[in-house]
Amino acid sequence: MSDFARQVQALRPQLLRFAHAQLRNDAWAEDAVSETLLAALERPQAFGGLSQLKTWLVGILKHKVVDQLRRHTREATLLSDDDGQDIDDLLFAADGHWREAPRDWGDPEHALREHEFFEVLQACVQHLPGVQGRVFMMREWLELDTGEICKELAITPTNLWVLLHRARLRLRVCLQQDWFETHSTA
Amino acid sequence: MKFDLSCKDVTHLLLDAEDRTLSLRERLAVRFHLAICTLCPPFERQLRFMRSAMGRWKAYAEHEPPEA
Repeated sequence: MSDFARQVQALRPQLLRFAHAQLRNDAWAEDAVSETLLAALERPQAFGGLSQLKTWLVGILKHKVVDQLRRHTREATLLSDDDGQDIDDLLFAADGHWREAPRDWGDPEHALREHEFFEVLQACVQHLPGVQGRVFMMREWLELDTGEICKELAITPTNLWVLLHRARLRLRVCLQQDWFETHSTA
Repeated sequence: MKFDLSCKDVTHLLLDAEDRTLSLRERLAVRFHLAICTLCPPFERQLRFMRSAMGRWKAYAEHEPPEA
């Protein structure tokens, strides 16, 4: 095996985690990573060495992840695996006022300097339920615009907005509980 | 759009603003509410914080993909 192939192979576990975080499906993540490795090994000359090998592979992987989402549109779009919880009711009283005042999270730079914070953030994102997590990752990581996401997943804009709102509110609650309440110095 | 938005309305608009550009009227109504409300401004700062956190995490993770 060439050095190049060995280096590519060595990055496989990291790519798999990356793909899994976005697809939340073992088989799809495997496929996306296999296609990425194959593309890299078939055209090693495309790697100009200008960026890190990992960065280059992640760039290819993003496209393969979108391909997987496209291919599995039906399965990926089962809105039934959204929790359907009404976050509005959790956050607001009937008169539209906050049930509980949002806390002050302090100086953001403080948290963003902590390696541990990103582990909490990542765990919170990974715990977003099915479709919520998927649209959130498509938006934040793959940087698809909302029109593209609706098209890829064949959902209505209304559905998408609800999912994105829920994802962000859920993330907020998770960060509040798992980071800010346990790191009072922040 | 009415100007006396509830906190719930404002929360929705602030969340919308993460993924679309608000109209001038919407932005004005939100600003007006934020100027007189004490509860919603921290929420807006939380959203801003999450946005920069995601950006930082992404840069970090693409360089070093996240541990499972």
